[in-house]
Amino acid sequence: MAYAPPADWSGTIGLVQIGSTKAEGGTRTISYRIGGNGGLPFIEPNGGLTRPLVAYELCDDPAYWSPLVLERLGATTADLASWARAAGAELGADLVRLYLTSTKRRGFDDFDAIGTAVRTALGATDLPLIVEGPNEPSIESEAFRRIGEAGEGERLLLGTAEAARYRSVAAAALAYHHAVIAQSPIDVNLAKQLNILLREIGVPHEQIVIDPYTGALGYGFEYSYSAMERIRYAALKGDADLAMPMISSAVDSLTIKEVRDAPPGEAHRTAVAWEVTTGLAAAVAGAAIVCVRHPDSVAPLKAALTATWGSA
Amino acid sequence: MALKALDIYKLLPKKNCKECGVPTCLTFAMKLASGKADIELCPYLDETAKSVLGASTRPPIRLVKVGVGERSFRVGDEFVFYRHEKTFYHQPAILFRISDLWDEATITGVVHEVGDFKLTRVGQDLLLNGVAIANDSGDPAAFGRAVAVVEANADLPEVLIADDPAALEAGLAHCGTFRPLLDGATEANAEAVCALAKKHGAPLVVRAPDFEPLVALVQRCIALGVPDLVLDLDAPTPAEFVERSSAVRQLAIARAVPELGYPVYYDCSRAGALAPDALALGILKFGSVLVAGPLSRPQTIAALTLRQNIYTDPQKPIQMTPGLYRIGNPGPESPVLMTVNFSLTFFTLQGYLESTRIPCYMLIVDTEGQSVLTAVAAGKLSETVVADAIRKFEVGDVVAHRKLIIPGYASPLSGAIEDATKWTVMVGPRDAADIGAFLETEWKG
Repeated sequence: MAYAPPADWSGTIGLVQIGSTKAEGGTRTISYRIGGNGGLPFIEPNGGLTRPLVAYELCDDPAYWSPLVLERLGATTADLASWARAAGAELGADLVRLYLTSTKRRGFDDFDAIGTAVRTALGATDLPLIVEGPNEPSIESEAFRRIGEAGEGERLLLGTAEAARYRSVAAAALAYHHAVIAQSPIDVNLAKQLNILLREIGVPHEQIVIDPYTGALGYGFEYSYSAMERIRYAALKGDADLAMPMISSAVDSLTIKEVRDAPPGEAHRTAVAWEVTTGLAAAVAGAAIVCVRHPDSVAPLKAALTATWGSA
Repeated sequence: MALKALDIYKLLPKKNCKECGVPTCLTFAMKLASGKADIELCPYLDETAKSVLGASTRPPIRLVKVGVGERSFRVGDEFVFYRHEKTFYHQPAILFRISDLWDEATITGVVHEVGDFKLTRVGQDLLLNGVAIANDSGDPAAFGRAVAVVEANADLPEVLIADDPAALEAGLAHCGTFRPLLDGATEANAEAVCALAKKHGAPLVVRAPDFEPLVALVQRCIALGVPDLVLDLDAPTPAEFVERSSAVRQLAIARAVPELGYPVYYDCSRAGALAPDALALGILKFGSVLVAGPLSRPQTIAALTLRQNIYTDPQKPIQMTPGLYRIGNPGPESPVLMTVNFSLTFFTLQGYLESTRIPCYMLIVDTEGQSVLTAVAAGKLSETVVADAIRKFEVGDVVAHRKLIIPGYASPLSGAIEDATKWTVMVGPRDAADIGAFLETEWKG
């Protein structure tokens, strides 16, 4: 562009590896290096280097999942292997995010099942895997150890570290060489604080992905959008403690009132419009991975991102 | 280069006559410096002062009005690149595209759809802004007929899309007095189209494939007497729209290129199947007048909600009126759930409570619109605030029990609230999504 204003950035977003191919010691057919941006997407030539990735979210215990997804996929959701296989082979996701919802059950203590679930997902898909562990303090230490172990060599992205609980997930990431999602409640300073905490216990920047928390469209999304813009701006201005790629998942999109109260026949299309719009907007604000749950959201979101960024 | 308030003050008459609407010349100077006042409001400025001040004190992006009456809209007058720097002021207009190839019934249907559409969210009515009529037929008479059908059916702002001045003229015959936006002027037709815009006092879209020709065309249109311009950056793809629109916003707010200091126009229907995505990008990245083919209802509500989000003032949390709100038909034994008056907290919790189908009360206390986390940290949510609310809204008279469910993030206050209210406090989940399970197990159980 003839009139493109000069950029005034001193920072670059670090690269984080997700997934590990055979050549890299794992079994994935592809691995990603997310991040690396040295400017704002579109305006500067090195701003949005690669298309943001679309992660498809699924879980090991569908009792805790959106009825829309269960309705649409039917029996597939009852079998983790089929579901994980479908994510890549049928839906076309770039990576898979497994939520271990089985750990939400009262008195959960079947740690072998967690390891089995991670191995099942890894066996069923050859895409890189994100694993979302429990958020129950009494079980997380053992649970993350099992997750880390089951995914050793595969360079998982593990979730989720928060300011009040980050040691177990960080320990698993360090012991088994995985990356970590660091989630803070929609605030640039809290995001930075958590990254410093993680750094202090030895998690290097190249193993951290920032999750600034994404409110659903109409339910706080504007705060998340600005938090992401601020994080990216601070990083490009040289703040190394914020210079990591970001992940965005508007997890409430399928349960909001607009979807629940949609006129007959429109619930699915409303859910998809919500996920695609939120995902695209989060990507524009700087997210490197955007997550969806409705199976029909993957293709249109990927198409929108490809049209905007070019292929991955 | 923007002038400082004191530099401007030196050029003002210093009469403090108040005729500009503010008490002193210094106040007026400060408003001019921040782009909040028009230099023309001062009746005593000489031409030299006006020419010095005019260029550097007008808002960096011109405010342009389209349409007349209740549904008319204004766009432009923006000051920042990031919404968190201040706020975005004038939300983009979204107009549905109508083809003059369509029959009368189809056109009428879309006009009514646009006119009647209303989505109420967070206490605001979200509307579509108008219709854009396109001269796809290439026939001026057909275009005139289509505009006449629109005019007969609604009082909505219009965009007239035609390259042929004869077609624009045929359309203006029906709506010329209602300030339609003309789309538009190109290098080829500028003289004729500017003459029409000037004659009808209509705002005008200016389209060129790159910045240099666009700047030249803007200068030409101004010289031809058309001051209310809207820029079409003629982007071939949504990605290029974002790139060009971002550059225009940066240059405009820096006042680096005054000819780019106009609102931006984007016909999203050019993106074909990706039109809903192009519309989202237009909303996010500085589009001001956005045209899209009629969208499905889900796509429309997603776009309007995105627009509402992005154009919400980040400096002011949206607040709910504190009070006792009913979910379903609660009775004296129904649970009471206390939370803050941040509207998003309210609507999120309300949504989840409704889906539990357990009748209950929401006690909304005044935290000046702060969320639970922020309000606890800032001391806006305290045992005193809760005790006052229970007393003020007479919760003790409404329910027979004395149990209060508080948000998980407010758990540090549970003891203090019990002491201050003498109610039994139950700490609820941190995430509203878990409230159904909480009520099933903890309240009923």
